[in-house]
Amino acid sequence: MNTSSRLLANWVILGLTLTFLIGPFLIIILAGASDTSYLAFPPEGLTLRWYLKVFTVESFRASFLLSMALAVFGTLAALLLGVPAAYALNRYALPGAETVRTVVAAPIIVPGIIVGLALLRYLVVPTGVTVTLALFMAHTALVLPYAVRVVSSSMHNLRADMEEAAVLLGCSRFQAFTKVVLPNIRGGVLAAFILGFVTSFNQVPVSLFLSGPGVRTLPIDMLAYMEITFDPSVAALSALLAFMSLAIVFVAERLLGFSRYV
Amino acid sequence: MFRNTREGLALALPAAIFSTLLFLVPVGILLSEAFRFEGGWSLQGYIDFFATPLNRTVFLRTLKLGALVAGTAAVIGYAAAFCIVNLGPRARGTVFGMVVLPLMISPVARTYAWIVILGRTGIVNEAITGLGLSDTPLRLLFTETAVFLGLLQLFLPLMIISLVSAMENIPRDVIPAARVLGASWLAVFFKVILPLTKEGLVIGGTLVFTGSLTAYITPAILGGSKVLMLETLLYQRVNVSNDFVSASVIAMILIVMSFSANLLLKKIASARS
Amino acid sequence: MKTTLSRLALGCAAAALATTAAQAQDKTLTISVYSFAQDEYKEALYDPFEEICGCDVVIETGNSVERMAKIEANAADPVIDMAVISTQDALALARKGLLAQIDSSKLSNFDKLYDSAKDPNGDGMAVGYTYYASSIVYRSDLVEIESWGDLLSDDLAGEVALPNITGTQGPLTLMMLAEALGETGGYGPVISTIGEHSDDIVTFYSRSSELVQLMNQQEVIAAPVGKFAWGSFKEAALPFAWANPKEGQAGGMNVMIMTKDNGNEELAYQFMDYWLSTEIQTKVAEMQVDSPANKEVVVSDEIAENLTYGADVIENLNIMPAADVLDQRESWVEQWNTEVIQ
Repeated sequence: MNTSSRLLANWVILGLTLTFLIGPFLIIILAGASDTSYLAFPPEGLTLRWYLKVFTVESFRASFLLSMALAVFGTLAALLLGVPAAYALNRYALPGAETVRTVVAAPIIVPGIIVGLALLRYLVVPTGVTVTLALFMAHTALVLPYAVRVVSSSMHNLRADMEEAAVLLGCSRFQAFTKVVLPNIRGGVLAAFILGFVTSFNQVPVSLFLSGPGVRTLPIDMLAYMEITFDPSVAALSALLAFMSLAIVFVAERLLGFSRYV
Repeated sequence: MFRNTREGLALALPAAIFSTLLFLVPVGILLSEAFRFEGGWSLQGYIDFFATPLNRTVFLRTLKLGALVAGTAAVIGYAAAFCIVNLGPRARGTVFGMVVLPLMISPVARTYAWIVILGRTGIVNEAITGLGLSDTPLRLLFTETAVFLGLLQLFLPLMIISLVSAMENIPRDVIPAARVLGASWLAVFFKVILPLTKEGLVIGGTLVFTGSLTAYITPAILGGSKVLMLETLLYQRVNVSNDFVSASVIAMILIVMSFSANLLLKKIASARS
Repeated sequence: MKTTLSRLALGCAAAALATTAAQAQDKTLTISVYSFAQDEYKEALYDPFEEICGCDVVIETGNSVERMAKIEANAADPVIDMAVISTQDALALARKGLLAQIDSSKLSNFDKLYDSAKDPNGDGMAVGYTYYASSIVYRSDLVEIESWGDLLSDDLAGEVALPNITGTQGPLTLMMLAEALGETGGYGPVISTIGEHSDDIVTFYSRSSELVQLMNQQEVIAAPVGKFAWGSFKEAALPFAWANPKEGQAGGMNVMIMTKDNGNEELAYQFMDYWLSTEIQTKVAEMQVDSPANKEVVVSDEIAENLTYGADVIENLNIMPAADVLDQRESWVEQWNTEVIQ
């Protein structure tokens, strides 16, 4: 094969793959503009009414705020727990380090639906913890593995002798961490935040069982909405949310080359 | 490496304790329920579960679809990853970004689209009848094919990402060198690329397989009640029948399946080298 | 957009706290309702009631099975004070001892109800507030439906959807198919017959919204459905029709229930009575949300066409006793799982 035909084959394969991966997203954007009371593609007539309707559905507003709060605060909590853990796992000769690593990574392996069901039955029901708090804890636990992994990998590239030098020069260990380590892993922490945010925001199975009066995450609310009607507003909302995620990721990519960490 | 163990533990333990209390303990109790029967410990839950033909069908279907999706993702993933690492640095960044992009979009949205794509009046059927491949539109929705496509679209990016990062570690000259020495592309793949990327394949394969086992929305929307998978069956057991024993049994099976897949893939990878 | 988003993000903490705040209020009625038409209910029922009682109405939505599971989970300390639910789910909850007796003397509008709505389960724990007929919606340009038996005819093979057995519509379809097929000894043989036709049935749907989508994208051309969904079909461009099968229409009722010892009975009675009043029943009927159970409601012919309305219609519905469904559902589901969706 000569170079140009190889290049062509290269792009054909990539083109097909990307069409398969991104095509459905484009279809959703257009289907959300269909002037029908059901989902249609190609759209029959074009209208913005479904895109506008999204903003008038009250439950979407409430569940959007809840999902936002869960994604922001759950990820922050996960970082608060995860950054020190990642630091300790990288810098200290810990007995049982492997156990800690496994325990912290466990939420990624266990199917989300089981986590949600377990928390409903053995946390919410017996202890009377509110569903909102249970959701917050579940989302924190879910993001924790990502926080530890991404922060670890950015810490891995950082040589330990700098902190040791700082300590020798009279810094406390904490000062050494905030002055030397933290500035250097900033990018990793931010990447972990974004990854955690997106993971939490789009999470479905964990939240499937964790809903209560007026408390429902956005993806679950979208499913509930579809029990009432398949009108294109869910497509419109999906498209809007996707644009929101894309905007966040795009900015992150520009600022710190986010995809290195995914 | 710092030697102060107490300090290290103080930093690492909060995360571990949080995960244990809020995660391992409730999940552990739930799973142990799968071994409870009339107040004692027993495997009766499993015996009952597998005695039901529908449950066996659903179990095998889940296994089959998971394996098919992971296998197909590996084939497409290798092709795509190979193409991506062959691109110039700029194009590579853009294309890689486009592969990552779907992961940032809600699975509700991504699954939802397939309802219209695979419909009898949808674009896939328009193409099929337009090209004369079939006279009448094919029945795609509510079939295993629909669930397969939905899952593949959902998880393929994970495989490509894993394989791309694995391929980036292949030294630049190895493949041209092998070609110059007269190895066929097939030989290059099996003798050079595969051994050097097996770790990525194991990670990607596990992620895709596990993801397919535990996806809820895709089988629920695209499969419906005729194409139940373990995850939708679990939801139905809890919410329709209040049957927590079956739910725990299914939970256990799902976890065992993902762990064994990971072990099996690791084993295959180490046996090849 | 950006400022809106950041403002939303700032408001998050408040949103997370909102539910706690609502529960802290003095007078709160928590109700559990079907998730459809919430905007209409809010306008016609919830908002005016909040005005009258000076209280907060907290609404939990979902389908009846999910909502029922939650009432059961919180039995010791009821979160839900009052719920609207299907007759068989009400009976199931009543049998588990989760419901309160309803004292009809506390409902000033009770005597205005159709007789079958007054105590549909015969246990004094449920009051019907709406009826629905159930028949077959079909594409009148492609097919003619004269009998429930047509659902399994060769003409419709590969073009028909049936309701799933786990929902409310499933058993009604079984009942009418039994009638059409001349089966008198239980529904077992009917399920077997459906099982033989399983490949001809596109899917067993669980939500009428899903069916509306499927019929609009021409995935199926006929399916049994409740009249409450008929409005969404009428808006469509395709020619849909409502069948009048020779076996008649099936029907059912949704009821109001009160959880036992919820401590909020007074407010719950006040709310139920308000909902059953001629004023509210008429308003809800005119919005084409619920068909009235109150005999005094009068609506125009045009509105009536979309409802299950009028004594002659309601008295001729084939209503399945809730106890039948409840006692046999498990064996139906088991047979269904083996013979139909295998």
